[in-house]
Amino acid sequence: MIRRKTLRRWNNALHRDIGYLCVGMTLIYAISGIVLNHFKAGDFQHPDYSKSFTNLTVPLPKNGNVDQQYVFSVLDRVDSRGNYKSHVPGEGYVQIFLKNGSLYIDTRSGEAQLEKKTTRYIIKEFNLLHYNNLKKFYTWFSDIYAAGLIILAITGLFVIRGKNGIIGRGAWLTAIGILLPALFLILM
Amino acid sequence: MTNKVLPFIILMMIILASCNNGTKEEVAVKADTTLITVLNFEKQADSLIDKPVFIEGTVLHTCKHGGKRMFLVDGTDSIRVEITAGPTIAKFDESLIGSRVRVLGTLKEERIDTKYLNEWEAEVKKPEENHQVGIHSGAKGHEDQGMQEKLDQIKALREELKNSGKDHLSFFSVEGISFTILK
Repeated sequence: MIRRKTLRRWNNALHRDIGYLCVGMTLIYAISGIVLNHFKAGDFQHPDYSKSFTNLTVPLPKNGNVDQQYVFSVLDRVDSRGNYKSHVPGEGYVQIFLKNGSLYIDTRSGEAQLEKKTTRYIIKEFNLLHYNNLKKFYTWFSDIYAAGLIILAITGLFVIRGKNGIIGRGAWLTAIGILLPALFLILM
Repeated sequence: MTNKVLPFIILMMIILASCNNGTKEEVAVKADTTLITVLNFEKQADSLIDKPVFIEGTVLHTCKHGGKRMFLVDGTDSIRVEITAGPTIAKFDESLIGSRVRVLGTLKEERIDTKYLNEWEAEVKKPEENHQVGIHSGAKGHEDQGMQEKLDQIKALREELKNSGKDHLSFFSVEGISFTILK
């Protein structure tokens, strides 16, 4: 029969090594988790890009004709001709796509909105992993990571002995950690 | 030595990952792949369901909820073709907006009947709505629609279904296999 002391040593070694292995993925999921959480809550427009909007008024197209010349003349006013990608006219408006955003013009009123976006590098890559957009082997990898977290949680309960361990203070804190999400489910 | 190399390796891995999440070389082009246009999409779609197609257009919109779909237009935005990301495409990044792309994919039909509309309506009325359900139009601001706007959309589809005299409406899209950005 394996002695209690040996079991604890194995438990702590597992907790330590899996903990080291999980640091990278935990940071990725935690950081992108905060971003996606606030994106879903409507705190910002896009998880991968920060955006700013400027309202302005631009001249109307001559005879209502939205051509390349008109598009460039408007872009010159906002100093963005060099960022031009393409434009798509619609019924009473035109969308001009830029390398770093877009310009939406109401061609009936001349009201326009300039959108400028900045890539959130690193966070964008974290979000890609969080959404599991890569699929294939990453699905297996993230499953293994999730299993690692389960082992971390269970072994974590038995790392400390005594009054601060799972039979003392640890039990109370563990119970609070389980009850809090349960309360959200019940009350909200 | 390890202390100096490790942060560099991590940085390189992140940079490599960021360079590898979009355009893929077109693969497995079958001989019967049909080239369709955005402007003739609705006319041609009916006869090409579940068949491989090429389609070219300008990216009008990409879905900000994970980049799982984008919309192509050609010249005007009155006709939009929905492209969904198949298993071989990681995502449609927002940087594609305004670019001209050629997509290889499989043409798909989604049938909307009364049962579908009932389920969609129930989903819309839930406090935590699932963004993946329903019809995506690609119109400016469609992802920020409120509950009432979505209910109005469902009502309009019910009306369209009734007037069609059929038991379903067909919505066509292309499930992307690969895509290339054209110069």
